[in-house]
Amino acid sequence: MHVELRKIAKCFGALRANDAITLTVPASTILGILGENGAGKSTLMKIFSGFYSPDSGEILLDGKAVRISSPADAIRQGIGMLHQDPLDFPPLRVLDDFILGRRGGLIPNRRGAAKEFKELALRFDFSIDPDVYVDTLTVGERQQLEILRLLWLGARVLILDEPTTGISLPQKEKLFATLKKLAAEGMTIIFVSHKLEDVEALCTQAAVLRQGVLVGEMLPPFQTKDLIEMMFGKEVPLAPKLKLEPGKSVLAAKHIALDGIRLQIKGVDLEVRAGEVIGLAGMEGSGQALFLGACAGLAQPTEGSFCLDEDEHDMTGRSHHDFRREGVAYLPAARLEQALVAGLSLTEHFILSEGMKGLFIDRRKSEELAASRIALYNIKGRPDSAVESLSGGNQQRALLALMRSPLKLILVEHPTRGLDIESTIYVWGKLKERCAQGTAIVFISADLDEVLQYSDRVMVFFAGRVSPPLDSGKLSVEELGRLIGGKGWEALQGATEHA
Amino acid sequence: MRNVSRIFLMLLIAVVVGSAAFAQSAPPAAGSNLTIGLVMVGPYNDHGWSQANYDGIQYVLAKVPGTKLVYIDKANSADRPGTTVSQLGESLVAQGAKLVVFSSDDMTDEAIKFAQDHKDIFVVLTSGSQQWKDGKDYKPLPNMINVMGRMEYMKMVAGVAAAMTTKTGKIGFLGPLINDETRRLAASAYLGAKYAWVNYLKKDAKDLQFKVTWIGFWFNIPGVTSDPTQVADDFFNTGFDVVISGIDTTEAVAEAAKYQAQGKTVWAVPYDYAKAIDEGKGVSLGVPYFNWGPAYSAVVTSAMKGTWKSHWEWNAPDWKNINNPDTSAVGFKKGTLSKAASDGVDTFVGELGKGLNLWKGPLNTQDGKPYLKAGTVATDQQVWYLPQLLEGMQGQSVSK
Amino acid sequence: MRDNRSTRFAFQLGAVVLALGIATLALLAAGAQPIQAYRNIILGAVGSWDVAANVLVSWVPLLLATSGLLVTFTVGLWNIGIEGQITLGAIFTTWALRSLQSSAMDPALVIILAVLAGMAGGALWAMFAGALKTFGGVNEIFGGLGLNFVATALNLWLIFGPWKRPGVASMSGTLPFERALWMPIAAGSSRLTPMTLIIAVIAILAVYAMIEGTYFGLRLKAVGKNQKSAYILGIPTWQHMMSSFAICGVFAGLAGAVQVTSVYHRLIPSISSGYGYMGLMVAMLVGYKASIAAPVALFFAALNVGSIQLPIVMKLDSSLAGVLQGTLVLFVILGQGARGRLLKKAKVRT
Repeated sequence: MHVELRKIAKCFGALRANDAITLTVPASTILGILGENGAGKSTLMKIFSGFYSPDSGEILLDGKAVRISSPADAIRQGIGMLHQDPLDFPPLRVLDDFILGRRGGLIPNRRGAAKEFKELALRFDFSIDPDVYVDTLTVGERQQLEILRLLWLGARVLILDEPTTGISLPQKEKLFATLKKLAAEGMTIIFVSHKLEDVEALCTQAAVLRQGVLVGEMLPPFQTKDLIEMMFGKEVPLAPKLKLEPGKSVLAAKHIALDGIRLQIKGVDLEVRAGEVIGLAGMEGSGQALFLGACAGLAQPTEGSFCLDEDEHDMTGRSHHDFRREGVAYLPAARLEQALVAGLSLTEHFILSEGMKGLFIDRRKSEELAASRIALYNIKGRPDSAVESLSGGNQQRALLALMRSPLKLILVEHPTRGLDIESTIYVWGKLKERCAQGTAIVFISADLDEVLQYSDRVMVFFAGRVSPPLDSGKLSVEELGRLIGGKGWEALQGATEHA
Repeated sequence: MRNVSRIFLMLLIAVVVGSAAFAQSAPPAAGSNLTIGLVMVGPYNDHGWSQANYDGIQYVLAKVPGTKLVYIDKANSADRPGTTVSQLGESLVAQGAKLVVFSSDDMTDEAIKFAQDHKDIFVVLTSGSQQWKDGKDYKPLPNMINVMGRMEYMKMVAGVAAAMTTKTGKIGFLGPLINDETRRLAASAYLGAKYAWVNYLKKDAKDLQFKVTWIGFWFNIPGVTSDPTQVADDFFNTGFDVVISGIDTTEAVAEAAKYQAQGKTVWAVPYDYAKAIDEGKGVSLGVPYFNWGPAYSAVVTSAMKGTWKSHWEWNAPDWKNINNPDTSAVGFKKGTLSKAASDGVDTFVGELGKGLNLWKGPLNTQDGKPYLKAGTVATDQQVWYLPQLLEGMQGQSVSK
Repeated sequence: MRDNRSTRFAFQLGAVVLALGIATLALLAAGAQPIQAYRNIILGAVGSWDVAANVLVSWVPLLLATSGLLVTFTVGLWNIGIEGQITLGAIFTTWALRSLQSSAMDPALVIILAVLAGMAGGALWAMFAGALKTFGGVNEIFGGLGLNFVATALNLWLIFGPWKRPGVASMSGTLPFERALWMPIAAGSSRLTPMTLIIAVIAILAVYAMIEGTYFGLRLKAVGKNQKSAYILGIPTWQHMMSSFAICGVFAGLAGAVQVTSVYHRLIPSISSGYGYMGLMVAMLVGYKASIAAPVALFFAALNVGSIQLPIVMKLDSSLAGVLQGTLVLFVILGQGARGRLLKKAKVRT
């Protein structure tokens, strides 16, 4: 099917998720859509598959403008979406899951469906038993089941969102072979990924999104360097960095192994010294958030140990509150979900984080505290403002203002995500102030410039593999981008193996 | 100043003495019009205990001019959470009731509290014994009367009907909870059955089995009581072909009907509401029932005329006609009985009318100890407070 | 549309009107005169000093249950197990009274000890629900419901077993306690106990002060609004949930103690009288705010007591009060939802 997207636009509040995106995908094409997290890939695909309706723009299928009102409507028009998390029903048997979503008839024709299921599976050489329960299948098999289901429902366009996450190499090869076969039969395939190698191995066309805008398209042979540049922006000269003498050891992570929901990491070593800044780079969900949380006591390692300070006292297995008492602060990215309490005022937050003692709240003292912190951190808000009424930048400032002193270690997820330039500079100014006082910082960012500019050392995470801390001074944006995209790992000394 | 305080003191004394005197006497006569308040433990149309009481008051309304009724049913803390029975009684007083009938033994505590709090209201506590001077629970309250019928006789009649009918010689008694009242009623049924077995059928008393199984309450409470359906089934499955019910609900009759439909010859005897006989055609041998109308008419009339005197009454049947609605406090409606059984029942009622007393020694309690020496007749206290089941009966005597 | 006091009030008023409408339809369906029914309910609740006193008697345990529930709601918990906690409070109170009634101790002291025992009993039962949630991962609604069943079974077992009247097990409960062991009844009333009124007023004031004025209350709020953030802010979350369970249990146990010492003067099978469930309705209706819980609880108590007139005067079922209360809660919550949606739409447009 010939697919055309014309000037698709979608805003969420002030955020332009998709800004007049126009794409043409002829039949038999395998289009790879690349972009870092938040670039607008998912939004575009959700519009195309009927989850969202666009603010403006139109969708043409085989030259005819259509309106897609819901996912069910999408599949009726031949658009099938394979989600990153398979949308199947684990407690059902494979065949029942397969039949679900089929229109017409109160009683499903199980026998007919079973026959068609077997034929389809045979065609693609999938070996799934229709009578087992879905939750006994591997992620790869569930994906296969979902593809069969979408084909059976009549999909002529197949959208795959990060389909290679969490499946084995042979399964990936089979998936790619299947997709190529389908494309040869006239199917249009849209492959959303951040893995350069996958796109290079599979796609016949590539499009790159960045900050909601289509920044470029490319046909094979793909130039990795150009793709990285399109994804992450131009390489910018680094500002001269003030090198601090590395201080005493603050945190020692030894041979850490962690079990995440979709991935494991193993054998990670890191020693953080006072005043040092460590950047954790990688596509979202590559294990860096898991590791950062573990450094705060929020996730417990299955192997290895965490020690604090020069005397290396063991904190393995201790709770976040124990880490907190030791002077470890954790600032999550989901500010309103994990760090601030919507419905409470700034003053109330300061009271809570200070751990004030006594029975009755000392109103005067707390308001003085709030007023002074608000002034000190230049937060645009009043002491009685509810935190959810603050802008993202001011929420981030509030988080910084909530940190206690002194601190040994600050663990931050995406310190400047969604912030404007002014706030970004302000936040890093405040963080650097802490560094100057001897606090170490470990942060996650998807912004390679930010990682290279502020870190002393960088660890790269890719699909469960972790690089050793690399000297940021010797890394270019391009090298880092390649590592994040899964390339050039062979040359790294001391990287962990796939867990 | 002294005068003022003296007057005040005298007034005080007058009030105290006056109220004390007031407390010692019944409320003043109600006159030619009286609103009766009736508090019932179950629904007024429950085909059982509550409806028998409701019908009793309806009888009063028809027979005693100037009477009116306000009532509240389902007066229990499960159906009306948060209320107390005395509070419900007050609600009836607010609607004009000058005489309140608390028609269940379960209301005793609240009825006493009500009678103490409202000395100007006539109180009838049905089936209680607080106003029985010779009773164990005597608690003098000038505004209270206890009313009860001598159901023991009719349970004996039920026992006769059962004994004349059983083919296996095994009679089951489906008992509610164990207390003085239920013990004496079960024992009465046994006495009647044994009498007919020995004297009419000329059989050996040893060949009569009489077994009591208590379910734990007046009706089935799942998880708390034994299931009466199950208990009735157990009886029928182990050779007991007649089950006398002592509970408020009709499981025994329903199960007997079920077994009869399967071709077994079994029967049941329901309890306490006359019209219950209509529901068990073919399986009910008859029903012993209360007829509250005459007794209620008498106490209502005494309240109106000013002849009210606190007392306890235990009313006997009218032996001339035990089913006379105007004179008999308890009765027995015959159901499906063979000619011989029917004759046996008639003969037995006749003998009772002539002075036959089965509560007569020698009688031993279940543990074999003498209860009545040979020739002695039980006093009302001995019957009312029967401490155990009688020798010859199977089943538990005291709740554990 | 703007978000202010008057629109909020308009929506609440609308909810009341709708609830009354449904109740009126129910009455018409039952073939009754609605106006007359409402008149009877009102007269039955405020028509005389006696019935007004009955309303207050019903208000006390209801307000105590509501007070406790406001604490668990603040921390984001649905303590549906409150019924069992009231029951356990009553059981512990009865146990203390039974143990001490024949001692030489001053009756006033016995009552105080019994009430304290009741509070401990309620707290204990609530902590079970809390422990099931915290350490067993059992949702507090399921745990609470289970514990309610256990409490009822325990209560019945005691009444029909070890604590039965001499020789007789009775549905009307255990043997009543001596008058000396009753909470003192006000002169001129047959059941109003001023002491329990004072307890209830102190309880709701204490809860209000705790939630609005203490560090502890603020921490409860934070946990209730966002457990993850609260944890990151350094608040020990499960400990606060457990404390709120315990506090709610204390109030529930107090309600049970009041039922035993000042309403029934004995232990009865349905000793909780459904005040726990009704307290949940009151708490939802007031939007979990302590400030207006007392009058709303009074209104519910008045409906309960007033509706007894329906079967007496009009031969109607008194469950109409339940219909009215239920629909009222439903419509107020629906109204809040509708208001929220409209406000959101208005915001998008501007």
